[in-house]
Amino acid sequence: MSQESNGIEVKGLVREFKNGPRAVDGIDLTVEPGEIYGFLGPNGAGKSTTVHMLTTLLPPTAGSAKVAGLDVATEGSKVRKVIGAALQEAALDPHLTAREHMKLQTSLHGLPKEERLKRGDELIERVGLSEAADRRVGGYSGGMKRRLDLALALVHRPRVLFLDEPTTGLDPQSRASLWTEVTRLSAEDGVTVFLTTQYLEEADQLANRVGIIDAGRIAAEGTPAALKSEIGRPSVEVVPRDPANRARSQEILDQFGTAVPAARDALGIRLNEGIDELVGIVRAFDSANIELASLVLNEPTLDDVFLAKTGRHLEGAGEADSAEMPLPDGETVNA
Amino acid sequence: MSSAARRAYFSSAWAVAWRYLHNLYTKPAVFVPGLIFPLFFLAAFAGGLSSVSDVPGFDYYDFTAFQFCFVLIQASALAGVFVGFSIAGDFEQGMGRRMMLATSNRSAIVLGYALGAALRLIVVWVIITGVSLLAGMTVRGSGLDIAGMYMLGLLANVAALFFSAGIALRFRSLQAGPLMQMPVFIILFLAPVYVPQELLTGWIEPVAKVNPVTALLDGARSLLAGEPTGLLLAYGVAFSLIAVMAVWAMRGLRKAEVAG
Repeated sequence: MSQESNGIEVKGLVREFKNGPRAVDGIDLTVEPGEIYGFLGPNGAGKSTTVHMLTTLLPPTAGSAKVAGLDVATEGSKVRKVIGAALQEAALDPHLTAREHMKLQTSLHGLPKEERLKRGDELIERVGLSEAADRRVGGYSGGMKRRLDLALALVHRPRVLFLDEPTTGLDPQSRASLWTEVTRLSAEDGVTVFLTTQYLEEADQLANRVGIIDAGRIAAEGTPAALKSEIGRPSVEVVPRDPANRARSQEILDQFGTAVPAARDALGIRLNEGIDELVGIVRAFDSANIELASLVLNEPTLDDVFLAKTGRHLEGAGEADSAEMPLPDGETVNA
Repeated sequence: MSSAARRAYFSSAWAVAWRYLHNLYTKPAVFVPGLIFPLFFLAAFAGGLSSVSDVPGFDYYDFTAFQFCFVLIQASALAGVFVGFSIAGDFEQGMGRRMMLATSNRSAIVLGYALGAALRLIVVWVIITGVSLLAGMTVRGSGLDIAGMYMLGLLANVAALFFSAGIALRFRSLQAGPLMQMPVFIILFLAPVYVPQELLTGWIEPVAKVNPVTALLDGARSLLAGEPTGLLLAYGVAFSLIAVMAVWAMRGLRKAEVAG
């Protein structure tokens, strides 16, 4: 099958549980082949239920969904052949080693015998578990379990990969390593990735496009940049090292945007065009020989988007919505 | 089914069976109860109640052999029931979901558990047969008779497995354990355990008469004695139970699929 059919098409998808509310309430979305689609929402928004329907673990109550061109309701067995999934709870047997898990998973997928060992070892190495491969999984850290779970989802070379909150509870290093692998899968192997998360930073950094779900409905959809630009342009705050340069600094900044309230000792503007102007600002201060104690870029966050669309903040927002970029002499840019 | 699909199907089933057996090996606590029960009953019945064979009308040739057949059917059925525990545990732990996601044709999961249970059963049979022979049991049946007797045990195992799998897949929780175990225990003990059916009196007599396990026991006992009788009924009952319980298990699988 061609890569063109590796996408996901969802129309009016509904899942209603007995005596409960609609967990998913008529969502429409399209994920392009090879794209990383971030499905962002708070706990209980309907993210996992959507994933369960798209991975054939749960039949939809209404609507339709096609994964890799196959209908999840009527072609479940075919769908399962072309998808991989690492669900919220890494379902691992604590009594099996990583290598034994690979043996199990490759056999479950019906890989030819001669390929199983090779494929298992290759994936164990790729996720950096070679040294722990013969240890029982019961003794693994959360990060190791997640990496193994991801490797298991890849044994049959899926064309579409579902990751349900893959980094929840992981330390920053494990999270970064998982992000690298997901990006590589999409960029190099052309795997379509459907990733649910409640971390703004994760959706922002990884996803080509983001769908924001709240109370079972899609509240917003688009590229992270487009969603944020709907809300507003980024702002910049600078603090001149010498307070005597404040007036000249303000003049420079005024060329790039309109003044906005800033933190104490800082000068702030809302950029006219956007983040591309940052280079120009740095150059302008350099040409004017004005040293800066700090330069901070404040972008609208996806939390701002969520707030604008739903009237509420996303749970956990703020813990991952800001990353610091070091400047050469110890200053920082918050992006 | 194409040959590639068939290969994948049996590969999936074997993977489930392999893990089931691997867990038995690494977690003896899962394996031992299914063996201890029959051995306990064998010791208690064949040893402690051996004078029951002196009752007028008890015409079976060897009381230990008489009890062995019950223990064989009981051990076989319990081995099937304990698979239900494993299925429920796997769903609680999330492994059930992994298997549901990874297998193209999900009936391979049930087949895999059945294969694992059958292999486990061979070990159980070897142990209880060995213990019974050491306890002085004599065997009168031919090789073919004995094979037929073990076949009845295997069929009881498959029927009990499908029954407990049906419960496990519906509840997907180990809390359903008593629902799997109790009905099997009760139906086993409502059969002619200590004496032939003809010697039963009171309410148990009509109950035993309609109890399907009675046909299995009578068939197994006749085969061990080398005087096969009632085999058509015994096998007919066994295959009917399997057919009904297979439907029960597959519907349970569908319910597990719908529940997600």
